[in-house]
Amino acid sequence: MESLEEKVVAVIIVGGPAEGTRFRPLSFNTPKPLLPLAGRPMVHHPISACKKIPNLAQIFLIGFYEGKEFALYVSSISNELQVPVRYLKEDKPHGSAGSLYYFQDQIMEDSPSHIFLLNCDVCCNFPLPNMLDAQKRYGGMGTLLVIKVSAESANQFGELVADPITKELLHYTEKPETFVSDLINCGVYIFTPKIFDAIEDVYMRQEDRANVHHVTSFEALQITARSPPTDFVRLDQDILSPLAGKRQLYTYETMDFWEQIKTPGISIKCSALYLAQFRIASPDLLAKGDGTKNATVVGDVCIHPSAKVHPTAKIGPNVSISANVRVSPGVRLINCIILDDVEIDENAVVMHSIVGWKSSIGKWSRVQADGDYNKKLGITILGEAVTVEDEVVVINSIVLPNKSLNESVQDEIIL
Amino acid sequence: MKALILVGGFGTRLRPLTLSVPKPLVDFANKPMILHQIEALKAIGVTEVVLAINYQPEVMLNFLKDFEEKIGIKITCSQETEPLGTAGPLALARDKLTDISGDPFFVLNSDVISEYPLKQMIEFHKSHGGEASIMVTKVDEPSKYGVVVMEESTGQVERFVEKPKLFVGNKINAGIYLLNPSVLDRIELRPTSIEKEVFPNIARDKKLYAMVLPGFWMDIGQPRDYISGLRLYLDSLKKKSSPKLAAGPHIIGNVLVDESAKIGEGCLIGPDVAIGPGCVVESGVRLSRCTVMRGVRIKKHACISSSIIGWHSTVGQWARVENMTILGEDVHVGDEIYSNGGVVLPHKEIKSSILKPEIVM
Repeated sequence: MESLEEKVVAVIIVGGPAEGTRFRPLSFNTPKPLLPLAGRPMVHHPISACKKIPNLAQIFLIGFYEGKEFALYVSSISNELQVPVRYLKEDKPHGSAGSLYYFQDQIMEDSPSHIFLLNCDVCCNFPLPNMLDAQKRYGGMGTLLVIKVSAESANQFGELVADPITKELLHYTEKPETFVSDLINCGVYIFTPKIFDAIEDVYMRQEDRANVHHVTSFEALQITARSPPTDFVRLDQDILSPLAGKRQLYTYETMDFWEQIKTPGISIKCSALYLAQFRIASPDLLAKGDGTKNATVVGDVCIHPSAKVHPTAKIGPNVSISANVRVSPGVRLINCIILDDVEIDENAVVMHSIVGWKSSIGKWSRVQADGDYNKKLGITILGEAVTVEDEVVVINSIVLPNKSLNESVQDEIIL
Repeated sequence: MKALILVGGFGTRLRPLTLSVPKPLVDFANKPMILHQIEALKAIGVTEVVLAINYQPEVMLNFLKDFEEKIGIKITCSQETEPLGTAGPLALARDKLTDISGDPFFVLNSDVISEYPLKQMIEFHKSHGGEASIMVTKVDEPSKYGVVVMEESTGQVERFVEKPKLFVGNKINAGIYLLNPSVLDRIELRPTSIEKEVFPNIARDKKLYAMVLPGFWMDIGQPRDYISGLRLYLDSLKKKSSPKLAAGPHIIGNVLVDESAKIGEGCLIGPDVAIGPGCVVESGVRLSRCTVMRGVRIKKHACISSSIIGWHSTVGQWARVENMTILGEDVHVGDEIYSNGGVVLPHKEIKSSILKPEIVM
């Protein structure tokens, strides 16, 4: 008989500023996990998925960003979701599994029976309650969320082989050169507290190996003086690979969407995926309009309640408009993310772009790109407070903050 | 006497360096740009400097605290809440610039480096008795700038012509002014251009005079001019036989090396190089026409020319960095890498060569 008090906690790895360079110029003033996707910060999506977990006690965000960058968000989301969310700052890299071990005391505070581990830059359906049920059925140490992808793209991820009947993880290899499997690791896991023992084992083995080397007495003093293990433990190579096939790890396959949010271009794609999910799960989050009282809306669009959009504008598909944005008459927006306080003047067109906070887009100007998410300049990004003057055209370019464009540009990075 | 330094703006042309510090604090010849101006003002007896800023005031204010004591001059900030152009900030700082002495005050543009012959400018100002004096400098391509048309013998300014299509003169505004307090009565507290609105008015009243700037002049607001500017600056140090210039068998031409920097064996440094505090230049390194900022490590056998290496960066062994490569703060170029004009934003590692000029974000 299950204990009704079995608590569950969730840990979301948010990373640090070093990984944010691909999100420049947007990441200059906002940590990547707080950049908006479908109208809410990136990290909000896994956090609100955690809300569906029964008996959720706490959510931990672990990362390298300064605490103060997350303080405001963490307190407001705790309030909104009525569940404690805490940001834990790592002092130095411990590896994906090492981080979990480093904060073991906090994570185990409520003596949870299960611990979810999610990566913040994963965009998916997060079927967490199903994973919890599956994990209880399998009875091992942990369960990985997995998905089938095309054979060509599989080698960018962790490829794995699972038993089709028992769903046990039989084999795991990270970014292999030759084809192993089209089933890949989604970066969403559920573990029992036994995971900490497994990580500790890895540390012990690392220390043993270090001790076997001949050391001078001075070096030996250094080794014993180190109290917490200072080496690096990665989840994939150090835990998943070695434990595959030992009846400890299992898989749960999702048939829904999955993406890794690696670049701003992909974040527009992920924004679209979440908006499509809203259409099914919470359609009142999406905007509606036919050009009479409200702007014409095509496809999935979300508009912040404080934004003002003129009824003669046509918005969508796949557009997110953030707070205090002003969209003037005759504007056309397609496949774009418009951040807070942006002003878009009459008859402007914005396509396949991200427009940074407080920017202003002039009359009849065009801000666009070809929308190829895999190209470096495949989407146009305007940093904070960029001014595009009237009738100027900006194509396939990235513009750093506080610039004013009075001439058209194409295929350029403007510092 | 008092002075105002127009600091203004975001310094976007000096990115990626200005992504780490505001432009006046970017080092030039091993000293924050603005320090060159503040020291020149202090040398002729200015007792208070007002910095007209509109960006990152906290960073500037911290810097000021450090330097106020060291230099022995009062430094205050006048912060614009909206950009006020090139004249508006003077109106904003009005109370700070005027006092009972009624002395004229200096106004300097923070992007400019020159020899700052301010004592001569004071004498010139007294001798013509007008309301305002400006320094002008001769350039080869006046049409890129605002040309000052003046009467040669007296220096009285007739008019300003912005980017003239036909030749009207080859003297341009050098960004150094000495103004009587009455000029402030001509400036409203709104975005105003000193060249387009204020000076033409004073010129019409025949009260504006221009003096040709002796010595070198450069607007170092962008990387190419920064590098040329260093050459001019070091050249002027040479003319004054300054002891600051480095000497030795491994030095060619004019080179500045901070006393805390270390240079290894078998290096060849120069011409026109500045090496900042705490830098380590390992053995066998060739440096020419470049600036190496505080805390940089250049590893063995590397070769750098016509580039700027930002604070705390490293350049790997046998790396070759040239042709206007600008490395921002904390950029690490791997061993054996080639950079041809790479412009690299802060906190990056360069693990593959940059074959043609490109921005690395």
